[in-house]
Amino acid sequence: MAQMNMVQSINDALRVAMRADANVVVLGEDVGKVGGVFRVTQGLFDEFGDERVIDTPLSENGIVGCAVGMGLYGMKPICEIQFADFIWPAYDQIVNELAKYRYRSGGDHSCKVVIRTPVGGGIKGGHYHSQHPESAFIHVPGIKVVCPSNPYDAKGLLLASLADPDPVIFFEPKRLYRAAKGDVPEGAYTVPLESARVVRPGTSVTVLAYGAMLYEALDAAAKAAEKGVEAEVIDLRTLWPVDINTIIDSVKRTGRLVVVHEAPRTLGFGAELLSLVVERAFYHLEAAPVRVTGFDTPFPYALEMEYMPLSHRILPALLDTARA
Amino acid sequence: MSKFEFKLPDIGEGVAEGEIVNWLVNEGDSVSENQEMVEVMTDKATVTIGAPKTGKVAERRFKVGDTVPVGQVLVVLDVGGGGAAAAAAPAPAPAAAAPAAAAPAPAKAETTVASAVGDLRETLPGMSKSAAPAPAASDYFSDKPLAAPATRKLARELGVDLRTVSPSGSAGRVTREDVERASSGARPGPAGHAAPAPAAAPAPLPEAPRPASRATDERVPVRGMRKRIWENMARSKHTAAHFHYIDEVNCAELIAMRDRFKPHAERSGAKLTFLPFLVKAVVAALKRHPRLNSVIDEAAMEHVLRHQYDIGIAISTDAGLMVAALRDADRLSIVEIAKEIERLGAAAKAGKIQKEDLGGTSFTISSLGKLGGLMAPPIINYPEVGIMGVHAMKRKPVVKGDQIVVGDVMNLSFSFDHRIIDGDVGAGFAQEIIGYLEQPDRLLVEMS
Repeated sequence: MAQMNMVQSINDALRVAMRADANVVVLGEDVGKVGGVFRVTQGLFDEFGDERVIDTPLSENGIVGCAVGMGLYGMKPICEIQFADFIWPAYDQIVNELAKYRYRSGGDHSCKVVIRTPVGGGIKGGHYHSQHPESAFIHVPGIKVVCPSNPYDAKGLLLASLADPDPVIFFEPKRLYRAAKGDVPEGAYTVPLESARVVRPGTSVTVLAYGAMLYEALDAAAKAAEKGVEAEVIDLRTLWPVDINTIIDSVKRTGRLVVVHEAPRTLGFGAELLSLVVERAFYHLEAAPVRVTGFDTPFPYALEMEYMPLSHRILPALLDTARA
Repeated sequence: MSKFEFKLPDIGEGVAEGEIVNWLVNEGDSVSENQEMVEVMTDKATVTIGAPKTGKVAERRFKVGDTVPVGQVLVVLDVGGGGAAAAAAPAPAPAAAAPAAAAPAPAKAETTVASAVGDLRETLPGMSKSAAPAPAASDYFSDKPLAAPATRKLARELGVDLRTVSPSGSAGRVTREDVERASSGARPGPAGHAAPAPAAAPAPLPEAPRPASRATDERVPVRGMRKRIWENMARSKHTAAHFHYIDEVNCAELIAMRDRFKPHAERSGAKLTFLPFLVKAVVAALKRHPRLNSVIDEAAMEHVLRHQYDIGIAISTDAGLMVAALRDADRLSIVEIAKEIERLGAAAKAGKIQKEDLGGTSFTISSLGKLGGLMAPPIINYPEVGIMGVHAMKRKPVVKGDQIVVGDVMNLSFSFDHRIIDGDVGAGFAQEIIGYLEQPDRLLVEMS
C-alpha cells in the first residue's frame, strides 16, 4: 500500500473512478491544466483530456447548473468548488434543482452529482477561504454530506459517494490536505456512507468530531486521559445522514456528550446532534451535553486560532462534562 | 370544578415528613383561603396548615396518625367557579393574568384569500390559545431538586423521591450516588435537602437484636419528635466526647435579689424565676469564654464561633424534650427573658411552637427544676459544644467562716465536648457562671 496524503488519495480516487466509468467527468475552476489550486486534480487533464476534465469560467452557479444537466443525462459529474466559501452562487442550483430532482421526477431521474469543495480554517486564509458551512447543506433534504478526516476515508468515501444514487456534497478539510497521511490501498474500495468510526474508545465521555477537528479532539482526549478522563472519540465521516446508532450506543455507555465543530455555534451541526441525542438517550445523560465550536462571528483572519475549537478549548469541556 | 392538589409543604427547615395530628376540616367542607385545615407534627414542631385557596375539600388523602412525606398530596380541593370552561383548564390560571385569554378573538368565517401562490389563511388553529399564560407553579412547593436525567430515571426506578435526597453534587445537584445511598435506606442528614452539608454520619452499627414479643406488650412507633430526639441524642453521644463538670452554687445572694425584684417583675407581667438569672449568668460567662458560644461543623472540620447569643432552653412537653431558642439573650433584660421563656414554654407545651423559635442555638440550659437531683450531666445539644444542667435548690449545711450554717445550695452539672473544649476551659467557664450567681450584682456592674 502506498503512503499518501489527502490530496493524493482524492486524486487517486478521481483517477480510479474515471478509469472505471467514462461517464465520470470533472469540472471546476482551474481543475484542468493547472490541476486545481490544491493540485487535487493534477494529471487528470493529461490522462483524460479536456472533454472529461473541464476548466470552467468563474461561475459556481454555472458549474453546478451544468453538472445538474449532465447528471440528468446519466453522466456522473464531479464538480470542484474551489473553496466552500464560494459555493453560495450555486446554492440555488443545489437546493432547488440538484437536491430535488429525484423527488420532483417521482424517482425517474436521479441526478448523480458529487460536489467536492475544500472547507475549514487554520490555513491563514481569512474569511473568504476558511468557512465550514456544512449545516446549510445538512438542512437541505435530498443531498448527502460527507467530511473525511484521513486519506483512506477520503478515497473510500469519495468512491462511495459516486456509487450512491443521491447527490453528495463532499467537504474536504483543507487543513488536512497535506497534514493527514496514511496507507491507501490501490484500486477501488469504498468506505460506506452513514458509518461513523470510533477512533478512540473510552468510557467517560463521548466526543463527536469530524474533519480537521478530529485531531484536536484526539489531542484533548489524550490530555484528558492523563487526568483520568477516558474520552471516546467518534469521527462522524458522513455528516448526513449521520450514523446515529454509533453515537447513541456510545452516549448510552458514557452518559456524557461533547460535540466539536469549526462552524459557528448557533444552528451549527452541534445543535442537531445534541437534539438527536437528547431525543434518543435522554435518560442516559449524566450531564448536560456540551458544544465546543467556532463563534457566532465572521471567520477572523487575525484571531483564527482563537476562533477554532482547538484542543485547549476541548480539554476543559471534556473534564467539566466528565465531572459534572 | 377544577381540582387543586395541595402538597405537604416543607413546613420546617429541611423537614422531610410530617404526621397528621388533627384534621380541622371534613371532606365536603367549604374552606376559605388560609382557613386552618390540618395540624401536622414534624420532627421540629406541630404546625397548623391553612387552606391554600378558597374551595371545597374534595379529598383528605391521609388520616390522623399517618406520616406524610413532604411533597405528597395532602388535600384535594375543588376550586374555581365551576362550569365546563373551568374544568377544561388543566390548572387554575392566576386571577390577575390572562387578559388575552379573557378576550378571545371573535370567530371569523375562514375564507381562502386570493394569492398568487398557495393558500394563505387569516387564522390558523391554535392561534387564539397561544397567548394564555402558563399556570403558575404552586406557591407552596417550589423545591425543585437538581439532577441529571439519568439520575432522575434511577430515582424513579428505585422509588426514591429526589426532594428527600440530600445532594452532594456540584451546585446542589443530587448525584447517582446520593440516590443509591437514599435507596439503601440511609436517611437524609439532619439538615435535610434544604441545607446540604450534613454532619458526618456515624459508622453504621451492627443490627440490633430484636426483643421477643409478648402478648401483653404494647408497641408504640417511634415517630415525629421522638424520632428526632432519638437521632439527635444518639448522634451527640456517638460523636461528641462528653466530659462532665459538677459544682455547687451558694444561692444566698441570688435568692435575695430574686425576692427583691419579684414584685417589680410581676408589675410588668412577668413571673420571675431563677432561670432568667441563670441565662444572664451564662451569657456573661460566654462573653468571657467565647469558645463556648459555638457549634461544630464536622463536615468542614471547623469550630463555628457565634457572635449572637441564642441560648437553648430545654422544655419538657408531652411529645418529648424540646429545645427552644431564646434569641439574642444578651440584649434582653432579666424581666424580658422571664417573659420570653414563659412564652416559649407555653407554645412548646401546646405543640404550637413556630420554627423561628427552634434551632440555631449555641449553648443550652436544661433545668430539671424541683426534680433535679444531685447530679445529672446532660447530653450536649448537638452540634453545640456545651450544656448546663440545673438542679434543685436545697437547704443544706454550709461552712461560713468557721461555722456551719444553713445555706441555699444548688448544683450545676455541665457537659462539654472535649474534642474542642479542654477540661480547664470548661471548668473556667463553669466557675465563671458560679461566680456570677453567687454575686449576681456583678451582672449589673459588668453590664456593657
